[in-house]
Amino acid sequence: MFEWLETTTPAIWVGESLWGYPIMLGCHVVGLATAVGIFMMRDLRLIGFLEGISYESLDSLRNLGWTGFVINAISGCFLFTSQATVFIDSTPFLLKISMIFLAATLAAVIQNRMRDAAADWDGSGAVAGNVRIIASVSSALWIGAIISGRLVAYI
Amino acid sequence: METFVTAVEGSAIHHWVLGFTWTWPVLEILHFIGLSLLLGALLVIDLRMAGFFRRINIAGTHKMLPWVFVGFGINLVTGFLFLMGDPARYTANIGFWWKMFLVGLAGVNAIWFWIKINPVMTGWEPHADPPVIAKTIAWVSLGSWFGVLLLGRLIPYIGTG
Repeated sequence: MFEWLETTTPAIWVGESLWGYPIMLGCHVVGLATAVGIFMMRDLRLIGFLEGISYESLDSLRNLGWTGFVINAISGCFLFTSQATVFIDSTPFLLKISMIFLAATLAAVIQNRMRDAAADWDGSGAVAGNVRIIASVSSALWIGAIISGRLVAYI
Repeated sequence: METFVTAVEGSAIHHWVLGFTWTWPVLEILHFIGLSLLLGALLVIDLRMAGFFRRINIAGTHKMLPWVFVGFGINLVTGFLFLMGDPARYTANIGFWWKMFLVGLAGVNAIWFWIKINPVMTGWEPHADPPVIAKTIAWVSLGSWFGVLLLGRLIPYIGTG
């Protein structure tokens, strides 16, 4: 199946045309900076940094973070097709995808908790204890995804 | 430029960067973490200053500035070490020089912000639409930093011009 994927039109466009690979790689780094950057800023606020930004207002950044995520899901699929058989056997790649899946799940958990309780946190001045832990784990997972993603090229 | 390349290639720092198999990938990882902090914080600061996300207190976004500097500091150091490791390839690459030009432009723009906006912005209403000059500075910042991001990622695919 992965051999077949490498013979499809998008795979050949990414792998063999002059512009396919650089365009997708360019999209992938813009999406990375947006998704990881925005979700980590939200995490930092929930962990206790960036005092002066209300939790309720911070919630308005969620769509920007998910926009970066979607850019990377799409560009990532294109990049994957060009070397599907290599990526599917790469331990760092599988680790990266697992960490992104978990980090995205935590991003959804965090935004649901914020929607319900951000106003209360602004009132009392403190977030619920377990949200701080979830935000710390979320940031660690995004950094882990960057580490393993870079290592795909080396291991 | 040839003298520069020869001097760097004879330096201890050049041999340190290339002397271990792990240095280059570790520097790349740090460079990616740095860019995420830099761009993440700047997106919030600049988009708010461009008039978006008006629910966010505009003075509050400037609490993110230290994270911009942390990201920039990490990338200045790791970027310098890349240049020390492979001076011939970077100095011959037109994409690298455009990237450096845009970093310089972003720096001049930051000084413009420091002179024109920083002293007056504490008086702004927290959810106000900023004046045109602030919006201009915000878009120049976003434009130059995303240019830096794309050029940096694509240096391996850009020729010597």
